Amino acid sequence: MSNLNDSVSFVLDDKVVTEDFRNSALRPTTTVLNYLRSLPLHKGVKEGCAEGDCGACTVVLGELQPDGTLRYESVDSCLLFLPMIHGRQLITVENLKNDRGELHPVQQAMVETNGSQCGYCTPGFIMSLFSLYKNKNHPSREEIDDSLTGNLCRCTGYKPIIEAAATSCVHHGMDQFSRNEPQIASLLKSIPRESLQLQTGQQLYLRPAKLSEALSLIRLHPEAFVICGATDVALRVTKKHEILKEIIDISGVEELKLISDKPDVLSIGAGVSLSDAMGSLENNFPALYEMLNVFGSQQIRNVATFGGNLGTASPIGDTLPVLIAYNAKVVLSNSAKRREVSLDEFVVGYRKTARRPDELITAVVLPKMRNGSIVKSYKVSKRKDLDISTVSGGFRIDLNDRQVVENIKLAYGGMAETTKRALNVEKFFVGKPWKREVVEEAMQIFDGEFSPISDARAGAEFRTIAARNLLLKFWSETIS
Amino acid sequence: MKPLTPHESASKHVSGEAVYIDDMLVNEQLLVGRVVYSPHAHARIKSFDFSEAKKIPGVHAVLSHKDIPGHNQMGPVVKDEFCLAQEKVICIGQAMFLIAAETEELCLEAERKIKVEYEILEPILTIEKALEENSLLGPPRKMNRGNPDEALKKAPHVITGRLYTGAQEHWYLETQVCLCVPGEGKEINVFSSTQHPSETQSLIAEVLGIAKNEVVVEVRRMGGAFGGKETQGNHAACWAALLCWATKRPVKIRLFRDDDQRITGKRHRFLSRYEVGFDEEGKILAAKYELNSDGGCATDLSFAIMERAMLHVDNAYFVPNISVVGKVCKTNLPSNTAFRGFGGPQGMAVAETVVDRIARSLGKDSAEIRQKNFYGLDANNVTHYGETVENNRLFLIYDQLMKSSDYWNRRKDVEAFNAKNEFFKKGLAVTPVKFGISFTTTFLNQAGALVNVYKDGTILVNHGGTEMGQGLHTKMQQVAAAEFGVRLNRVKVNATNTSKVPNTSATAASAGADLNGMAVKNAVDILKGRIAEAVAQIFTEKNPNPPTKKEDVIFQDDMILDMMHPERKIAFADAMPLMQLRQVSLSATGYYKTPNIGWDKEKGWGRPFHYFAFGMCVSEVLVDVLTGLHTLLRTDILHDVGDSLNPGIDLGQVEGGYIQGVGWCTTEEIKWDDKGNLLTHSPDTYKIPSVQDIPKDFRVELLENVPNPNTIRRSKAVAEPPLMLALSTWLAIKNAVSAVVDHEIEPEFSLPATNEVIVLSVEDLKKRSIQKRAPEFSPAK
Repeated sequence: MSNLNDSVSFVLDDKVVTEDFRNSALRPTTTVLNYLRSLPLHKGVKEGCAEGDCGACTVVLGELQPDGTLRYESVDSCLLFLPMIHGRQLITVENLKNDRGELHPVQQAMVETNGSQCGYCTPGFIMSLFSLYKNKNHPSREEIDDSLTGNLCRCTGYKPIIEAAATSCVHHGMDQFSRNEPQIASLLKSIPRESLQLQTGQQLYLRPAKLSEALSLIRLHPEAFVICGATDVALRVTKKHEILKEIIDISGVEELKLISDKPDVLSIGAGVSLSDAMGSLENNFPALYEMLNVFGSQQIRNVATFGGNLGTASPIGDTLPVLIAYNAKVVLSNSAKRREVSLDEFVVGYRKTARRPDELITAVVLPKMRNGSIVKSYKVSKRKDLDISTVSGGFRIDLNDRQVVENIKLAYGGMAETTKRALNVEKFFVGKPWKREVVEEAMQIFDGEFSPISDARAGAEFRTIAARNLLLKFWSETIS
Repeated sequence: MKPLTPHESASKHVSGEAVYIDDMLVNEQLLVGRVVYSPHAHARIKSFDFSEAKKIPGVHAVLSHKDIPGHNQMGPVVKDEFCLAQEKVICIGQAMFLIAAETEELCLEAERKIKVEYEILEPILTIEKALEENSLLGPPRKMNRGNPDEALKKAPHVITGRLYTGAQEHWYLETQVCLCVPGEGKEINVFSSTQHPSETQSLIAEVLGIAKNEVVVEVRRMGGAFGGKETQGNHAACWAALLCWATKRPVKIRLFRDDDQRITGKRHRFLSRYEVGFDEEGKILAAKYELNSDGGCATDLSFAIMERAMLHVDNAYFVPNISVVGKVCKTNLPSNTAFRGFGGPQGMAVAETVVDRIARSLGKDSAEIRQKNFYGLDANNVTHYGETVENNRLFLIYDQLMKSSDYWNRRKDVEAFNAKNEFFKKGLAVTPVKFGISFTTTFLNQAGALVNVYKDGTILVNHGGTEMGQGLHTKMQQVAAAEFGVRLNRVKVNATNTSKVPNTSATAASAGADLNGMAVKNAVDILKGRIAEAVAQIFTEKNPNPPTKKEDVIFQDDMILDMMHPERKIAFADAMPLMQLRQVSLSATGYYKTPNIGWDKEKGWGRPFHYFAFGMCVSEVLVDVLTGLHTLLRTDILHDVGDSLNPGIDLGQVEGGYIQGVGWCTTEEIKWDDKGNLLTHSPDTYKIPSVQDIPKDFRVELLENVPNPNTIRRSKAVAEPPLMLALSTWLAIKNAVSAVVDHEIEPEFSLPATNEVIVLSVEDLKKRSIQKRAPEFSPAK
């Protein structure tokens, strides 16, 4: 790797802060939350769960855009390793008052609406509101709800917080951050975007700046954890207290952050956050877009990627069934070549994939659909949002003009140790009319397809009934 | 209604400046404390060895029950709860050992080196099994009025059934936390997230074997509590105190979220049975209730909670003949504890199920049956425990809410929607709340305050209540300012501290503002009396004809004046330096005990409550019957808080309490495996409501022009009662489910109504409906 650097630099409190990992108690996997809380003046940020479910630790990252402006995004600092904020601005609740010591409009609104009771979740809400303030003017109720889904409050019932959002986000994002943006931008520009190699005690943390470097690193360190948003891998650190020996962090590789939209195919780089991907999915891949809408929270989607979601090969993997339904492919690359693997073949077992040790997931490719195909996604979960599916479904159907099933794909999550298709039911449908009687007949043979487990989320009986019922739901939503 | 006075800490909350215990700056001597807990639900401890753990550099103490200098006890009422396990472990999560080390990682390393040998014993993990084996924490409790057996025999209709209501995790955002700092000699300073500082102080003194005057407990604020820190805040405090004592260094224990969920008790789950007789009109004639709760492995507050459940099994309905039996089961799960509502929700869920079933069985709207059974204004107004329902607001609220929510028209719309839709059903329900205010352990209804006025005219209020977000300090600030007639920012409310106000009751039972408000007022009255006398002298010295009488001295608009001679006046702040010169004490303690209450627990008869709080709620839901997903379309609430001390704060309590109740009624499901391991031990699997789960249309109003007699500034308690408004949401879901079979069959239903409960209930209804409609295919005939 060229330009090795063993320190991490970012902007905090309007200054460039450089943390040297050689001579400090910091580890590369020290979370931004724990880093901030170790400072005497940044204890506003709170740990509520250490797993990205409550948002008490929400901070905002300012990222320099090609046009020299800054983009502000909320993230869960409990799931963010410190090196991941290299070259960015870290904004905490303590930074929101202006020079005159006046509260920021979102803070003032929260005071006026009684948006805080015990106050413990409040700094996190303030930061989500601040992100909303910077990104949306006069946000709709849906946009407000979406921006606050990742923040749990146990006291208020949310009503005053929604009101605070609606009344404060009305100034086109103008505040002292807008005024200071040129200075912050020049500070950020002064931080070199070079590769990082952080070595402390038992840990090696590699953050390449180029794809070619990333590919040679994975060859050298085939056992390394590959992370981009780290929203899954970080749980090993925060919940299981594991010490990860080798990490390759590809979040600094700009080449992986590209989206290519061609007439017949959409390709999304492995480093593209789900938030960024959603913009290109809404029109051509609505079922995937809808699934992402209820996937995690804004804080999670702002860093999580398709590459990460597929790489973990979770048996539930919210996006997997619908990606299968869209006939998506995963692009796997090593230093020598790239290959495409259909998603049906990508997951080979419980949390096992077809990725070879020297390969990286570099993109997801989605073929655009021809007329007549319909894809729908379903998520059955205890809570609609920010909840892992009990059962998820990604269904595709191709009907001919006589409403006879030509092709059907029924991919389920949560029903087996991997995402799995109901192959016998699919076979049963082909060539038959898409009619309720036929669907109900198919539901009779459905039970033989899967033997789901009972766990914390639900019992096996419910899983089977709900999965079966999704066929009826799919039918009811696709009949003309 | 806009809040005139925001929460006194609001601007600190929103700027991150509010200091919680984990945010306190402590010197570099601070050690991290960790509790090592049992991995088995029931086992004998054959041996343990932590010699290897102690050898790790940076580990400063590893303690077992043998290292406790005082009593190994932290049971709050009954002394049946070891501070650290001795001989046996009786639940997963029971504390066994304590570690203090320089870092959390060292604590974890030390924990891995502790060796324990167990002999595994059979655990009891369900209410059913506990009942079967008669495993109870104490003798059953009973209440009775009239002759229910006789009345049931004569009743035209009788229904019997059982209802399961689930446990609930408090999910305060701030997990249990305590920081102990050693003082000189035996002194120990404790910063604890506790609703009950005096009990925390007592228990620490007892486990350390020292006098209570050596222990000072302070609570600035809690990051949420909801009952979860009424007794169980004591635990982390006792553990941290033991480690502090052993190391002579500051020690902080903050439970990791998953550990907090595993270790601490929950809302009691209940398995209740009912047998109810009623007439053709749906009027209840007789009822027999059996309430069985899961107390967990120790008593904690389980009997007081059962008592409140039994006292609320009537909810708002008059039942002439009634018997109630309450059993508290002993199981091998963490000891269950207080949670907003304190048994009330579990009792009311039974009452509301009964009324809902009566309506369905008679083919009537449940609103009609409810109104028919409400306690009367003049007749039928005595509860099954002998207390008269005074100042009954049920009819007032019902009439207003049914109108403002447009209930009857919406009922028609719901029916029309359901007739047209097969896969989606709507449900609508209204439920009332009548909740008794006072601790049912009568002597607890007392409070103290210490009010100091300083020479610059600022006022410092200390009282026995704790701030957990409910706005108690704000209300106390308002009470002191209003009684002193001064502007609000003259008054600061101090962190709650056992050295300022001793021997307090827990901040619980919704009574914080009622009790402490009166105590603050009492202290202010005493000070005003002294100040008035001195000021009268001052006025008279200046102008002796006629002299100012001290009774004529009044306090208003930040001034002190002679109301008979308003030109004789002095600014409050200007008067205070004169008080010191005239040797007037500007510090006074106040005290209050609730009058005219009394209750015979044995007979189950008396007047346990100072008054009742009332409220009502209409909920409308949309249920996807194929997946069980439900959406809360609209909620209308009308709630009675008397003359509100702070409408903004009270509305927040109503809305927040209701949503917390919605969580209990819908998505918050607690599951254990067959070994007693908690499966839902983090927010990954335990789902409290998010912003997306609140009603799309959420209308909340406080009942106006209803002053409450004999309370602080004619207000009413608010904290707990609104939680139970959520039962309307649960019954609206049941209403939607039963629409699948046109309300002809009573659904199997339990609480919470998760998507799983809904889908399985729908499946069951469809099967029973086919059986019912096609008897000719029955092979038996």
